[in-house]
Amino acid sequence: MANRVLLSIGTKKGLFVAESPKTRRRFALRGPFGPGVAVYSALIDPRGTPRVYGSSCNAFFGMKVLCSTDLGKTFKETKSAPAFPKDDGRALANIWSLEPGDDRKDLLCGVEPAALFKSSDGGDSWELVPGISNHEHARKWQPGNGGLCMHTILRDGNRVHLGISTGGHYLSEDRGKTFVAANKGVGAGFTPDPYPEFGQCVHKIAGHKDAPGRLYMQNHGGWAEWDGPGGRRPDIGVLRSDDHGKTWRSIAKGLPSDFGFPIVVHPHDADTVYVVPLAPETRTCPGGTPAVWRSENGGGSWQKLARGLPKKESYFTVLRDALDIDELSSPALYFGTTTGQLWIGRDGGEKWECLFDALPPINCVKVAVV
Amino acid sequence: MTSATKITIHVPGPLRDCCAGAAVLALSATTVRAVLEELERRHPALHRSICDETGTVRRHINLFVNTHHMRDRNGLDTPLAPGDEVTILPAVSGG
Repeated sequence: MANRVLLSIGTKKGLFVAESPKTRRRFALRGPFGPGVAVYSALIDPRGTPRVYGSSCNAFFGMKVLCSTDLGKTFKETKSAPAFPKDDGRALANIWSLEPGDDRKDLLCGVEPAALFKSSDGGDSWELVPGISNHEHARKWQPGNGGLCMHTILRDGNRVHLGISTGGHYLSEDRGKTFVAANKGVGAGFTPDPYPEFGQCVHKIAGHKDAPGRLYMQNHGGWAEWDGPGGRRPDIGVLRSDDHGKTWRSIAKGLPSDFGFPIVVHPHDADTVYVVPLAPETRTCPGGTPAVWRSENGGGSWQKLARGLPKKESYFTVLRDALDIDELSSPALYFGTTTGQLWIGRDGGEKWECLFDALPPINCVKVAVV
Repeated sequence: MTSATKITIHVPGPLRDCCAGAAVLALSATTVRAVLEELERRHPALHRSICDETGTVRRHINLFVNTHHMRDRNGLDTPLAPGDEVTILPAVSGG
């Protein structure tokens, strides 16, 4: 029976695990695992015996995948990490996403340079998924500030949605065999064409199991003041699709900024979605005042959630995978900052409390009830 | 030099798990490139930690032949003589 809340926290200096009873009153911290090495993606896989995975981006010795089968008490490297075929010409720079696949030991892994790998043995061996990795667009994608990364993998029956920065949103309707760019309505502020076929700097995509046609996207916004070719592009940063990602429309009205990185959906309500708006110039909290913003009507309007968060002088960034929400009946949100704080937002973000205030800079936060 | 040239490889602590804990390996090779090829055959995890998929030595790994960095000689084609020592070292970096 699932009776504890587990957080995996990927930082610049290794992977941490925090554990609490379901009360979430107090979390015990373990780690760092893979000490000194940056972790950009983590996964708590609850299928069967729960496994905790973390990517370990070793600047010296290359990528490793860490795996724990004891709820994050100990970690071992899997037998191998994803690697491009020898004659491919690309070399793995980072791992940006880890997601469960179809079968119990199947894993999917999005990497930099943008490509998708699949494992059928819990991460011990990996094969390139050619439908997207060798897509005709693949060699035309350009790196964003964080690198050319495949950061989002969403599965929905036969459909697979991928988010690539900068590549855009790609959709497969045949379980990942073939993919098409699906970016109608997804704007780009850094190209003369405001709505290109592909090449958008998508930051994160989120969906909900009870509303499979519905997707939310945090795109690279902050282009309202642009006055170059193609004209101004306000509100292209926060988007919604109701047709499995084939077309998208803005839901950014009412937010203090349409720039941000993460986006998550309430586990029990597909209409409730959360973002962390950032000032586009600095990519930090607007006015030094951090807040999570929530919409309870699918993006029709937004409310600021800041009770308990600092009221001034806070200039951190919340990165694309550093916000998550648990699945308890009254869910809590969790976000990590580039200044090393881990916050919990109880009652769906109504009241915030700092769980840990001096971790290394946080890249990603994942939560599961196990 | 012959293909039987005996070379000693010094493995840094963080990579010894890739070769059953060995701090030192001995093998036959006539160039640094041949050393890496032999390591790929015998200890693939060790090779993956030294070179990326394209065969390029990772940016923050330095390979020394005796006391000389291989880049100051002939790179991967640096010839090896009997008794030479190849040392694998992570570069100094911080942050």
